[in-house]
Amino acid sequence: MSSSQAALVFVVMAPGAVFFSLALTWLVGWVPSERTLSRITGLTFTACLLALLHLLWTLASTGDSAIVVTFGNWFAVHEYRFPLVLMADHLSLPFLAMTVVLSGLIGQFSATYLHRESGFFRFFVLLLLFAFGSLLAFAAGSFDLLIGGWELVGITSVLLIAFFDQRPAPVENSVRVFAVYRACDIGLLVAVFAMHNWAGNASFATGMPKLAGAEATVVCLFLLLAAAGKAAQIPFSGWLPRAMEGPTPSSAIFYGGISIHAGAYLLLRVQPLLVETRIASICVIVIGLATAVYGTIAGHASADAKTSLAFASLTQVGVVFVEIGFGLRSIAIAHILGHAVVRTLQFLRAPSMLHDYHRMHSAIGGEISPTGRHLEDLFPERTRLWLYRWALDRGHLDTILDRWFIYPLLQISRLFAALDSVGRSGRTERQANPTISMRSPAEQGVE
Amino acid sequence: MAGTAWNPGAPVLDGIAIGAPWLAVAVLTVLRGHARIVGLMASLASVAASALLLLAAPKGESLYEALMLLFSCLTAAATLVLPKRDCDFRAIGGILFLLGATLLAYSSENLVVFLMGWVLSTTPFLRESWFRARSWRPVASLLLSSLALGAAVSIIYYSGHALSVNTLSGRSPGGMAAFGLLVVAVIFRKGIWPAHAWVADAAESGPSIPTALLLNGHLGALLVAKLILPLYPRTAGNLFPILSWLAMATAIYVAIRALTENSPRRLLAYLALSQSACILAGLESRTSEGITGALVHWFVVTVSTTGLFGILRLLEVRFGENLTASDYLGLAGHAPRLAVFFAVFGLALVGLPGTLSFCSQDLLIHGTLMSHPVTGIVLPIATAMNAVSILRLFARLFLGRRRTGFTHMADALPRERWTLAAGVLFVVLGGLFPNLIVAQRSAEADRVAMASAAPNAWAEPREDRGSAPIIAPPRFDFWLR
Repeated sequence: MSSSQAALVFVVMAPGAVFFSLALTWLVGWVPSERTLSRITGLTFTACLLALLHLLWTLASTGDSAIVVTFGNWFAVHEYRFPLVLMADHLSLPFLAMTVVLSGLIGQFSATYLHRESGFFRFFVLLLLFAFGSLLAFAAGSFDLLIGGWELVGITSVLLIAFFDQRPAPVENSVRVFAVYRACDIGLLVAVFAMHNWAGNASFATGMPKLAGAEATVVCLFLLLAAAGKAAQIPFSGWLPRAMEGPTPSSAIFYGGISIHAGAYLLLRVQPLLVETRIASICVIVIGLATAVYGTIAGHASADAKTSLAFASLTQVGVVFVEIGFGLRSIAIAHILGHAVVRTLQFLRAPSMLHDYHRMHSAIGGEISPTGRHLEDLFPERTRLWLYRWALDRGHLDTILDRWFIYPLLQISRLFAALDSVGRSGRTERQANPTISMRSPAEQGVE
Repeated sequence: MAGTAWNPGAPVLDGIAIGAPWLAVAVLTVLRGHARIVGLMASLASVAASALLLLAAPKGESLYEALMLLFSCLTAAATLVLPKRDCDFRAIGGILFLLGATLLAYSSENLVVFLMGWVLSTTPFLRESWFRARSWRPVASLLLSSLALGAAVSIIYYSGHALSVNTLSGRSPGGMAAFGLLVVAVIFRKGIWPAHAWVADAAESGPSIPTALLLNGHLGALLVAKLILPLYPRTAGNLFPILSWLAMATAIYVAIRALTENSPRRLLAYLALSQSACILAGLESRTSEGITGALVHWFVVTVSTTGLFGILRLLEVRFGENLTASDYLGLAGHAPRLAVFFAVFGLALVGLPGTLSFCSQDLLIHGTLMSHPVTGIVLPIATAMNAVSILRLFARLFLGRRRTGFTHMADALPRERWTLAAGVLFVVLGGLFPNLIVAQRSAEADRVAMASAAPNAWAEPREDRGSAPIIAPPRFDFWLR
């Protein structure tokens, strides 16, 4: 294994190894201090950054298009193989660099921001797991391995939304986000199955699987489902405002920086297939365009800073989707990098936004005078009112999802419950004789 | 054991693995004390004997030895995790009796011995003094499954004049009647729709950990792999998809049902049932990937669901028997390590990357979609719903405002912590290095697939394994031949 290959393996594995070690030591009873934890995190990402620089230097000096590390098959059953291949090429390297830099910065920021927070250890452990999942997804040489990283990003995202678990709202929203993620990930699973079935493999380390015509269209549409879910594109955009319940640093790195762009990365990765199929390309453009318009309008009616920023993210990622649909690969990558960095900074500054405004106002000697010109003035009053209501309810997306999908599903579940209860012998002893109430004496009104 | 080379020590080791727990039951009946120690020693004896059997088994022909080892380890873990409140001589005796009976069914190649194991494993759940549930449906289902299997074995013996699985392989003994009765036995034992309701009843109104052990013996899936596929390759080829569709219907039905369930025990039972149905669907896929996935998933489901039921019981003895998922209980503040164990086992059940179920789900979905391109999509959908349900249950039990109505409650005690950590290590290390398990199960899947594909295939040589025919060795049931 050459030094550059070792560097690639190190970049991907280091956060995972640190996560695993910290989790194991916690399970046996050791909890590191805040300072130790932040230093370990800082050192990990600094080392990753140095390894990444070495990787970049090697690629630049040798002129190679990619560094590939093959570990053979993770597991195999006859012709079905799960290749363990890591790859750093011109597409994955910017994403790897973005992940390492932003994760390190968020780690340093959070050491102060979450000081004495009860979930300090949990946050850092999940940050490391998230970084590992992202790096794995971006450095994967096959769609099989990409699923692994993809799922880890999803689960860490959900666990961090529920970070403030003393309140029900973050927890309920985390379950909702998880449901959307899992539903959309079915697209990724089916697409990978289809690639194996039609092309014999799902690896892209040595070129994309050979697919054309209807097969390419089907695979691309399933991948688009997964990408749209992860990037909160229409019709799955409803989960993004809910995800703002998490702590600000996690919102910054997930929904300003990395996770929100993972869907775009997937489409960029599959772009050689995407150009083969006009239907899928048009779908990408339409979804991106619709999301951009939706994000702009809904963002105007957002009352809090983080949600406004989330909708702004949505708009930009929608535009990125449009760029990908038109085949503007380089522009899309540049757009993602610029957007991720700026948006992360904006998210991190969100808690002190008022302070920033006051400072700016005092610096310029008064409030900024509004121009009084807004795009919505172009619409008649009635349309403006309708748009305002539409934006306030976030495009009715959640309402539609609830009314047409979730409630019917729950009704079916309740119907099944009624069917199952036929012949059930009344209340069981467990239900009839609760030994200890889960309510505290104070809640029960007991002195 | 079908297809293994003659191993003179095998009957003795089988005897130790099965006899030690039963001997311990007799000892406990007399002693009526030191239940945990006696139970642990007996199950460790089974673990040691099963491990030796596994080591002696030829590569690719060690499925049942591996299952024996798994179930023995699980019973040893259960005796350690069992809360003090539940740990009397009756409970431990019942668990050991179940262990002996299940191992008897695993190790047998004789239909009558298999039937004995099957029936005996239900006995503790029929007796009031052991684990009988307070609902009638578990008792009725277990009895019906035993009756169906008994009738099937009778018909098979009447028409085939033999009781050895190897002798009867590929001969379709008893025809459609016997095949149908075997399928009925599977449906009732595994809780396949429409006979699924007893599983949740048993979990709710019976003792939690022994019920988990009963469910995780997976004798219904064993019946498919061991008897139905090799004995009825042609019939299975034509009619088995019906059982597969029922399995997939069960997976999705109980996954939907779990979405609105608020009793943690019932919810866990539905999740276990849904994932167990995936095992059956994989076995029926008749593809190497699907069968391998099913066999690996068997291991995952067994460890994860037993862990989940165990943790739930530990929570019940600490915080009250009436835990509910209708409200946020905030137990993570009191028991953070139990919360983490629960999360890992729960997510491991539904395909979290880095755990063994990620590989098993990958193979299962691939195999099932290959054999059923349209209906196969049900499995990933059911798994996604199960994932949502397990996260909801985790959130309701462990998250939320910390309750102040309790005195200080201990988190996982050392014996519980180390036992649960061993389970977590199994699913995590299995996920990091899956080929150690997948390669073994893949070879065994070939045998299952081959047995279901060709008449009398178990006695035929495999092209890629040389010309020596596979000869069934005498095992613990040698005295019946």
